[in-house]
Amino acid sequence: MDALNYVFPNDLHVHWSMMIVLYPYLTGLVDGSFIVAALYYVFGVKSLKPISRFSLVFALAFLSCAMFPLLMHLGRPERNHNMMITPSPTSAMSGAGYIYTVAIVLIALIVLLVYRPVLVKRRQESKGILKVLYRVLTMDSTNLSPESLELDRKIIKFLVAIGIPVATILHGYVGFLFGGVKANPSWSTPLMPVIFLFSACVSGISALVLAYIVIKKIRKQPVDTACVRTCINILAGFFILAFSFEMLEVFSHSYLRTWYHHSVEGLLNGPLFYSFWVWQVGICSVLPVFLLGWLCLFPTKETVFKFFAAAVSFILLLQVLLMRWNVVIGGQLMSKSTRGYTQFHPEWFDKEGILTVMVLVSLPFIVLFILSRIFPLWLDEGNVSA
Amino acid sequence: MPSRYNSHIKRIILGLVVFAALGFAAKLVLTPKSFGKYGPYRGDAIDEEAALEIRHKTNASCLSCHPYEAKIHLAGLHKTISCEFCHGPYADHVKDGKVYGKLPVKKKEEIKVLCLRCHNKAIQARPGEVIKTVVMPEHLETQKVKVSHTCDQCHHVHAPLKYINRAKQIVGIKEKN
Amino acid sequence: MGEPDMKLDKERRAFIKKVLNGAIAGSLLLVIPMPAGGGDPGVPEQIPGIRGKKWDMFHQRFAFIVDITRCIGCGSCCVADRREFNVPDGYYRTWVERYLKDFDDQVYVDSPNGGFDGYQAPRTDINVEVRDTFFVPKLCNMCKEPPCVQVCPVGATFKTPDGFVLVDRKRCVGCAYCIQACPYSARFLDPVTRTAEKCTWCYHRVRKGLLPVCVNVCPTGARKFGDLNDKNSEVYKLLHEHEVLTVLKKDMGTYPALYYKGLRREVV
Repeated sequence: MDALNYVFPNDLHVHWSMMIVLYPYLTGLVDGSFIVAALYYVFGVKSLKPISRFSLVFALAFLSCAMFPLLMHLGRPERNHNMMITPSPTSAMSGAGYIYTVAIVLIALIVLLVYRPVLVKRRQESKGILKVLYRVLTMDSTNLSPESLELDRKIIKFLVAIGIPVATILHGYVGFLFGGVKANPSWSTPLMPVIFLFSACVSGISALVLAYIVIKKIRKQPVDTACVRTCINILAGFFILAFSFEMLEVFSHSYLRTWYHHSVEGLLNGPLFYSFWVWQVGICSVLPVFLLGWLCLFPTKETVFKFFAAAVSFILLLQVLLMRWNVVIGGQLMSKSTRGYTQFHPEWFDKEGILTVMVLVSLPFIVLFILSRIFPLWLDEGNVSA
Repeated sequence: MPSRYNSHIKRIILGLVVFAALGFAAKLVLTPKSFGKYGPYRGDAIDEEAALEIRHKTNASCLSCHPYEAKIHLAGLHKTISCEFCHGPYADHVKDGKVYGKLPVKKKEEIKVLCLRCHNKAIQARPGEVIKTVVMPEHLETQKVKVSHTCDQCHHVHAPLKYINRAKQIVGIKEKN
Repeated sequence: MGEPDMKLDKERRAFIKKVLNGAIAGSLLLVIPMPAGGGDPGVPEQIPGIRGKKWDMFHQRFAFIVDITRCIGCGSCCVADRREFNVPDGYYRTWVERYLKDFDDQVYVDSPNGGFDGYQAPRTDINVEVRDTFFVPKLCNMCKEPPCVQVCPVGATFKTPDGFVLVDRKRCVGCAYCIQACPYSARFLDPVTRTAEKCTWCYHRVRKGLLPVCVNVCPTGARKFGDLNDKNSEVYKLLHEHEVLTVLKKDMGTYPALYYKGLRREVV
């Protein structure tokens, strides 16, 4: 290793590895899909109707699996309840338990209320254990009178509306968790919660678009192009914001050139050159800016549009993953000695290793599949009005 | 009996209230008793830390049972060195007032390595006014000693200048200071 | 063994007085009469005023001072610390760094195994003429506004009323947030207990009136520890006279209770 490279003895090991990259990624997907649901249920963007329910179930599936990466990371997962029993008043991380509980209860309630007509019908048509399940899910009520549906509609709107600040805090606190660490010069910035939040929205909307197009293609069903167009427009807006803030962070520090800047600069131009400048910024940010600009501003044939919408969504999903990687793991490569960088070697079979990542990424899709059997994802199934 | 139009909402609210109450009760039950005694942490942890096993003692405790070494050690320049550094911690040797393990005594080449930890002049950062340093094997060559010699063949490890000064006395060399 | 011994006896007193004027761990100041062989006479106290009294949790003030001009990089402190707490290999509660400066003002820093093996050989990977060198011991700064305490989600690390930042091993969940938050890299995650660990300034020894092990074994007095409520303690005198004492990473706003004497501008 370079003779000038000096890493503090305790800085050699990267403590927050792939599990901590995965957790913000999963909650980010939740946030983004919830934004789409909010745009439909609260702001009345009618063109999003085809994926309105899908976005809610998608958010629920991913949120239900969001805690697993954290449990795999903790040295003492059996004590994780301590965070809720004695949360520290000054720690962003101690808010995690409470915010997560509120968010998952909220989304679960919204899903139950949105699907109540479907579930009541299924309760009446099923037998045995499924019937019990549907009774529980409908709170043992079969009342589908216009009054009850109107009440449901109002409550759904209210819950989704308060869900917006809840979702904001759900992902914003993760940004603040990093932004509040003054010891790490690449993390400590007031922009961190904002960057995390906007890139979360980008990842969630991209995931919905990609999943929508792929699932409909597999089932050989038509895709509502107007819906995808609306999503792409919203995606473009959020992405421009996210990318601008990410670049603002880097450029303002490289202009200010304060004491710790040389360490960050060495990181971005050194160990992170390929993963940051080439991949995250070049291929996965600059290219989508042009792709999104073209898709939003110029008329395109439907098949071309669908293909590139899916492609740009895929690239943006990668961008957000790279951003999380570069922030979480990249930030820890810098030693607090400001004189060197350590290395990160992902393991295959570690508790926080690559295999675990693959399992935990597949898990939400399995949950989504199971949930889709109870809560039909598309409005043309179950045939009830939203 | 058919449910009213808002029965499901009432049941949801009831469920939430029960859930919150259970959570609050769990918090009360599971919070450790000494939590909050001095601040937002478990007060007993302070006493637990204070009760940790002390493994090293001080030179005074070694020298109290080893008076022969005490006399030599306290008379020499190495009086500031901890016995436990070269020999090992007290807790590996005495337990409940009784000797139960033998602490290692370094021999031959190990002594040379140990001495050079402090006295090697090749590591430039050792201030001369704090410690005398030598370069090996030049030190042996200038003192006209075989280079295969270890440090303890001329220097008493507990009082390094004891034999040197005695030898100088015998030969009649006066030390320039 | 007649004459030379008597000479040694006289010289011994002069010797002790001269050398003890410097900064030496207090343990050797109190050499009490020993019973011949057998039994543990109890260890004489090294920090006066602690034994025989109930520990006042609320009015203690301790300070740790590291004198860079006296550190010889022997690594005794690292060895003693590892032995006292059975610290696993590759993790360090305290360590010693070596700084080299060449004639172009380029700084080279290393800390092979944290200085645990002492510094046995000069650096072989640099080929420059060395202008200046020095050793810097590092340990927990025992900040008065500790960022590690601020971020701990469960209250497992905390600042005691007597000014020590400790870790509650039974409560720590091993999230490693405190390790990210420490600007001095003093903390690590113990792979055996899977909880956070750090230097505690040997709280268990200080409570019994003994010095921390690293201070006790330091042969040159580069590490000093004392009670600021005792006006005769060396640390009190250093902090109240015209000594230039600095702290690490002052801009972080952590207000460390660990002071450095003779700290050089290259040290981070």
